[in-house]
Amino acid sequence: MTNAILAADHIVKRFAGHTAVDGLSLTVPKGVIYGLLGPNGAGKTTTIRMIMNVIVPDEGSVRLFDAPGTARDFSARIGFLPEERGLYPKMRVLDVLLFLAETRGVNRRAARAKALAWLERLGLADWRMRKVSDLSKGMQQKVQFISTVLHEPDLLILDEPFSGLDPVNAQVIRDTILDWARAGRTVLFSTHIMEHAEQICDHVCIIARGQKRVDGTLSEVKRLHGGRHLSVAFDGTPGGAAQVFGDRRLVAKVEDFGQYAELELTPTADAQDILRALVASGTRLSKFELVAPSLHKVFIDLVGADAARADARPEVARA
Amino acid sequence: MRKVLAIIRREFVERVRTKWFWVGTVLGPLLMIGIIGFQILLSTKKGGERRIAIVDGTTTEYGRRLVTQLGTAVSRFHMRRVTPNPRTDSLLLDEVEAKQLDGFLLVGDSTLDFGVAEYRGSNVSSVVDMEELQGALRRLIFAARLERHGIDTLLVKQAQIPIHLATNKLSGRKLTGVSGGQSFGVGVGMAIILFVAILMYGVNVMSSVVEEKSTRVVEVLVSSLRPFQLMVGKVVGAGAVGLVQLAVWLGSAKLLTGVRWRPADAAGGMGFQFPSIPTATLLVFVVYFLLGYFLYAAIYAAVGAMSSTEAEARQAQVPVQLLMMIPYISFFALLNDPNSSLAVWMTLIPFWSPIAAPVRYGATRIPPVELAGSIALLVAAVLVVTWMAARIYRVGILMTGKRPNLKEIVRWVRVG
Repeated sequence: MTNAILAADHIVKRFAGHTAVDGLSLTVPKGVIYGLLGPNGAGKTTTIRMIMNVIVPDEGSVRLFDAPGTARDFSARIGFLPEERGLYPKMRVLDVLLFLAETRGVNRRAARAKALAWLERLGLADWRMRKVSDLSKGMQQKVQFISTVLHEPDLLILDEPFSGLDPVNAQVIRDTILDWARAGRTVLFSTHIMEHAEQICDHVCIIARGQKRVDGTLSEVKRLHGGRHLSVAFDGTPGGAAQVFGDRRLVAKVEDFGQYAELELTPTADAQDILRALVASGTRLSKFELVAPSLHKVFIDLVGADAARADARPEVARA
Repeated sequence: MRKVLAIIRREFVERVRTKWFWVGTVLGPLLMIGIIGFQILLSTKKGGERRIAIVDGTTTEYGRRLVTQLGTAVSRFHMRRVTPNPRTDSLLLDEVEAKQLDGFLLVGDSTLDFGVAEYRGSNVSSVVDMEELQGALRRLIFAARLERHGIDTLLVKQAQIPIHLATNKLSGRKLTGVSGGQSFGVGVGMAIILFVAILMYGVNVMSSVVEEKSTRVVEVLVSSLRPFQLMVGKVVGAGAVGLVQLAVWLGSAKLLTGVRWRPADAAGGMGFQFPSIPTATLLVFVVYFLLGYFLYAAIYAAVGAMSSTEAEARQAQVPVQLLMMIPYISFFALLNDPNSSLAVWMTLIPFWSPIAAPVRYGATRIPPVELAGSIALLVAAVLVVTWMAARIYRVGILMTGKRPNLKEIVRWVRVG
């Protein structure tokens, strides 16, 4: 493997009663933003923990930086944001950052300058001498995010980086991740929110029930698994649109959002026929566009059934 | 190694920053000064003035003399003689009730003949008062009885010169100048300090482990350090705090030993002196503190790793604490008979020796072979226990939810 920064080869993890990750393989090329997508309980966190060597795979192997060794051996080159966040509540913000940087092999003085710059950048400069417990949840998340990038790792591994953040702060983190990738570094992050993935990912890997459903570049995945799609928005009421959408000769699938709808066309359908039918039905259109499917759509198609089933099973204790 | 230093540093700095560290560090010497002050208070003030009525039921001349002598026997007891009549009892009870009187002593002929007397009062629980009263009675009755048999009063007086048993601890063949009381005090003091310090710093390690577990910081840490490095860093860091605190305590104790306090009016030159601690004892103390701390801190780290919350951990550590309490509560037996087989066993068994050995060493001379054996066994135990604890720790820190049972823990150690 030439430029793979991270390669997991048929990794398996079984817990009492079920298999969390079942023969998953994935390859993360250098310099991309890689999204690990899946519904709740799909095995994203378990996969990331195996990559980080926090838990050891029952089968299979993980190779980092195309070299032998575990994540611990490369700890200076990896930034890791675990799913369950947490910092020392009684420590001062700056001290926590310096300490975590030290455990990654950065000396305190260098870490200090960088930590102050990052705190400034994320709007936390005034909080540097406060205790972590004085900060709001969102601020704590930002502090923890800083701790994952402070040592300027080549590879960022972020488990659900946007969860619990308001849109403004999510934007800040998203921009940071994009900057990071532009600088030639690699980011792997997990999420179950497709909008986040769609905005920034170059590559995606969709998993469900511990198995890979699809992976590749975002455009590939959309092209191969999305089908032909129409995006329709209404000006006022949908009128008789529902009838047109129900025509199984033209429309394979509908996602109706009320004011707009996403249609997947049947292989033989012509978009012109639908447009004609809609106009004839008295629907006032504000938008009629042939589009690539949203990642959301691809995701629902691929794992929708699994996700519904997975939800019925309680989250099992992780080890 | 630099990573382990970071762990040690954090553990040390964060602990020293807490107000509990300062409270504990300052409170230790203050407590010592307090104890000394209290001792001084006791040695000067023998108790307050007491008003006591003597209900004189004697009929003989010897009896009357006894009552007269009793009236001036103890200077702080103001005695008043009362002749008994049917109403005496209730009158005196009224006076005691009104706090005009502390109590009354019933004496009769039988006091002289059979040594029977009765004291009724509000101060009977005062050991000092009762001992003095009884002492005065014994002395006077003894003299009166001898005199009744025609023995010369002067002779009796000479016979009554009090005996003062001076005690001096032997170490090797040397007189140490440490009295029995002081030696006992040093032993008790060491038992308390060792027990409290090992327990306190062990529990600190445990809390720190649980904190990292419950806040999930541990997941980030184990992605850059081996669990063993993390555990060692914690144990050493918290131990360093303990050493600093102990140094402050021992340093102030050493300073206080220089202070000899002798009250001007104390009878018989009995002042109070803080016992001096020989350097060898101090050395033994520090060695056992460190080894004992490492032994128990490793256990506490494992206990912390098994628990998900602080409350759960506190519950889980009770057996460990009980194990440590065995030598602590035996200190009286250890000091009373420092060469008994119980004492020897306690010196050798690693979980007990950290407290038992220094206490015993303070009281007697432990044969060098025995001391060496004790330390060797303790070092071996530290290594074995740390190895086992590290395996439990490694599995436990990433485990959440149900506390593992014994069978699972054994499996962790074996698979680890």
